[in-house]
Amino acid sequence: MLAARHISKAFVGVPALREVDIEVRPNEVVGLIGENGAGKSTLMRILAGTHQPDSGSLTLDGQPLRLKNANDAVHHGIGMVFQEQSLLLNLSVAENIYLGQEDEFTRFGIVNWRQMHEAARRQLAKVGIDVDVATRTSELTFAARQMVELAKALTLEETTRRQLVILLDEPTSVLARADIDVLFARVRALKSRASFVFVSHRLDEVLEISDRVYVMKDGAVVAEHEAKSVTAPELHRIMVGRGLQTEYYKEPRQKPPRPEVMVEASGLGVAGAFRNVDFRIHAGEVVGIAGVVGSGREEVTRCIAGFEPQTEGELTVAGAPARFATPGDAVKRSVGYVPRERRIEGLVMFLSIAVNITLANMASVMRGGAIDYGRERALAADWIRRLRIKAPGPDIACRKLSGGNQQKVVLARWMTAGSRILILDHPTRGLDVGAKEEVYELVRDLSEQGVAILLISDTLEETIGLSHRVLVMRDGEITARFDALPGKKPDQIDLLREMV
Amino acid sequence: MTPETTGANTPPANRSLWSRWSLSGSFRDIAPPALLLVLIAIVEIGSPGFATPETLAVVLSDTSVLFILATGVTFAILIGGIDLSIQAVASMASVVVAQLLPSIGLLAFPVAILCGLAAGTISGIVHVRLRVPSFVATLATGGVVAGLALLAAGGRAITIEEAGRIHTRWVNDSIAGVPIVVMIAVGVGLLCFLVLRYTRFGRYSLAVGAGEPAAWAAGINVDRTKIIAFAISGTLAALAGAILACRLSSGSPTLANQLLLPAIAAVIVGGTAITGGLGGVARTAVGALIISIVRIGMTFVGVNIFAEQMVFGAVLIAAVAITIDRSKIAVIK
Repeated sequence: MLAARHISKAFVGVPALREVDIEVRPNEVVGLIGENGAGKSTLMRILAGTHQPDSGSLTLDGQPLRLKNANDAVHHGIGMVFQEQSLLLNLSVAENIYLGQEDEFTRFGIVNWRQMHEAARRQLAKVGIDVDVATRTSELTFAARQMVELAKALTLEETTRRQLVILLDEPTSVLARADIDVLFARVRALKSRASFVFVSHRLDEVLEISDRVYVMKDGAVVAEHEAKSVTAPELHRIMVGRGLQTEYYKEPRQKPPRPEVMVEASGLGVAGAFRNVDFRIHAGEVVGIAGVVGSGREEVTRCIAGFEPQTEGELTVAGAPARFATPGDAVKRSVGYVPRERRIEGLVMFLSIAVNITLANMASVMRGGAIDYGRERALAADWIRRLRIKAPGPDIACRKLSGGNQQKVVLARWMTAGSRILILDHPTRGLDVGAKEEVYELVRDLSEQGVAILLISDTLEETIGLSHRVLVMRDGEITARFDALPGKKPDQIDLLREMV
Repeated sequence: MTPETTGANTPPANRSLWSRWSLSGSFRDIAPPALLLVLIAIVEIGSPGFATPETLAVVLSDTSVLFILATGVTFAILIGGIDLSIQAVASMASVVVAQLLPSIGLLAFPVAILCGLAAGTISGIVHVRLRVPSFVATLATGGVVAGLALLAAGGRAITIEEAGRIHTRWVNDSIAGVPIVVMIAVGVGLLCFLVLRYTRFGRYSLAVGAGEPAAWAAGINVDRTKIIAFAISGTLAALAGAILACRLSSGSPTLANQLLLPAIAAVIVGGTAITGGLGGVARTAVGALIISIVRIGMTFVGVNIFAEQMVFGAVLIAAVAITIDRSKIAVIK
C-alpha cells in the first residue's frame, strides 16, 4: 500500500539515503534494520513527512503521495512513534496524546477536558497500560512513556478510516522484555487494522515481530528477506559485512602501547550513573567502551572530560590524582574532549577555523600579552595543510565546513593544546565513509605520538576495530574486558552477549 | 540517536533573496557606516553648514556619553547577555559625583566609577552563580541601584555648586578645539577595541557569545568571562554617568533615565548581533553616531522631544529584525 521509490536524501552534502526502494503491504509488519548511520531514521522521517526527499517518490495505494509535513502524513493515516521520545514532559498524558488535535474537544474556544480525558483513557486501554491520564508525563517511566507515544500514534484509528501505517522507530530500546511483550502483543492485535514499519537494531526482536525484513547499509537497502527464511546471524553478516575490515580500521598501524599509564580509574563512580569502574589507559593505547544507552559509558567519558566529577573512587591522570569540576580543569591536565555534538560542544560554529584551533591554548599565539594574529593564522594554515582540512583558508567560519573537516578542526585544537589524553565520543558520527577513514587514520597517528585515547562509538565494529582493549558496560558496571590485538579482534556477538 | 537527527541544523533550502543578502556578513559590515553617511548628507542638505568642525565638535560631545554607555553594554551583549541596569548605574554615579565633589574633590570620580564596577560585578555574579537570566539579574540590580541613588540624593536632583564646579570644568574643556569628553570617549573606545581584539578575555567573550557549550567544552572559564563583561558594563555606565553630571552640573537619581534604549539601539544599529558573539566597539561607535544624528535630525525636523523614545524604539526593532539570522535560532524567547 505504501511504497517509496528511488528515494535519495543528503544532509549538507553527506548522502544519507541513496536510491532507496521499500514497500509496505497491507496488514504486514516490515522490519528495517541497519547500523547507526545506515539511514533508517532518515527513511522513517521521510515516510512520516518530517523530512522531504531530494529525489524519488512515495505512493500510497498506487496514488502519488507528497508529504509536506507530519500533519500531511497523519492525514493519510501514517503515524510515527519517535525514537527520541517526543512527549512534552511538562504536560499531562492526555494533553500529550491529543497535542495539536484539541479541536475535537473544543467548543467556542474552550477545551472540554473531561471529554479529552475520556478519549485519552480509551487510547491508553488500547496499549494496555494503566496510568491516570492527568498524570504529568515527566512522572512516568520510560517504558510507560513509550506506550503513551504508541497510544498517541493510534489516535489515527479514530481520525481516519483508511488502513493505517504506523512507523515504530526503535521503540524497544528503552523497554524491558515484559514491556516489549506487551508492545508486540498490541502490534499483532492491530495488524488487522494497520501495517507497521519496525526499526530496531536488535535482530532477534525484528525477526520475532516482522513478516518481512529490509537491511540497510550506508544509506541503501542491501537486502530484503522473508522473516521466516532468514536467521539473526545471517542478517547480522549482511548488515555489517564489509570486505576488508582490517584495512578500513588501519589495523596494521595498531602498535603496542607504551608502558606509562596516562589514565587510571579505580572504583570510579558517579552517583546514579556508574560505579566500581576500574581501568587503565596507557600512552599510545586506544581503550573502547561498548554498551547500550544507559550502560553508563557516556557518563564515564563525561566524568574524565570534566563535565561531571566523580562521587566515589579515584581517578589518576598522568600520574596525579584528579577530580575535574569543569572541562577547564580537565584541559589544564591535558585532557581533550571530542564531543558527539560537534556543532554544539565541539566548535564555535560562527568563529573561524583559526580561532577554534587556538581556543584551548591561547598561550601558543600570545606575544607580549596580545594575540598575534599573524602567528595564529600561520598555525591554523599549518594544520589545514597537515590534516588536509578542505577549506579556502584559516579565516573561514567553521559552520561552512563539512562534518569531517569540522572534526579535524576539533582534533587540531587538542593537538595544539598538547593534549596527551583524548576522549573520543562518537568521533565519526554523521561522517561519510571517506571522512570516517580519515578520522581513523588520525586516531592511529595520535596513538603513535603516545596519546592515550578513550573511545565510545556508534558501532561495535568501529569500537573493536580501533581499540587495543574493549571494556563492556551494562547498567553502570563493567561486565567484561576483551583484548583486541590486530588480527585477533574479538567477535561482536561475544561483546553483545555482555551488553544486554 | 543517529547522525541524521542532527539535520535540524541544515539551513532551509529556499531563503528569499532579500534575507540571504541581508544576512550576509558584508551587509552587516557595510550598512551601518553607509547609513551614517546618508544621514549626515540628509542633515547637511536640510541645514547647510552642519558639517563644520564646530558643529561636529558639539555632535561628538553630545555623542560621547551615549557612546561610553553603549560600549559598556556591547560587552554584555557580545557574551550573549544584556545589561538593563546601565541607566540606573549611570544615574547613581551622577549622584555620587554631585554629593562628593564638594567634600573630596576629584576623588569623587574614582569613587563613582568603583560603585559602577561593584554594581556590574554583582550583576554578573548573580547572573552566573545563581543562574538568573542576565536581563532579570541586571533589571533587579538596576532597581536596587536606583533605590540607593534615590536614598543617597534624598529623592531630589543635586546641583553641583560653585565649590564642586571647579572640579568639573576640566571635563567640559577643550584642548586645541577638541572637547575633553570626546578625548575620553575616544580613549575608552580605543582601549575597549584593543581589549576585545587582542586579549584572551576578548576572544573568550566572542566564543562564549557565539557558542557557549563549545567554549565551555574547550576549557574556557565561561563564568569569569561573563562576570568581567558585566563588570566592564557597570564601570563604563558609571563613567558615563559621572561625565553627564559634569556636563549638566547636576546629579540626579533619574539623570540617565532616557539613555537605556538609545544605548542598546546604538549597539544593535551598529551591527552587533543581539544574540551575541558577533560585533564590537567600532560598530558601536558608528551606531552611537547614527543615533545622535537621528536625534539631531529629529530636532531639526521638529519632532516632539517626547516622541524621541518612540523613534528609538522603532529603530531598535527595525535593526534587530533586519540583522537577526532567524535560520540559526530555532526558538526566539
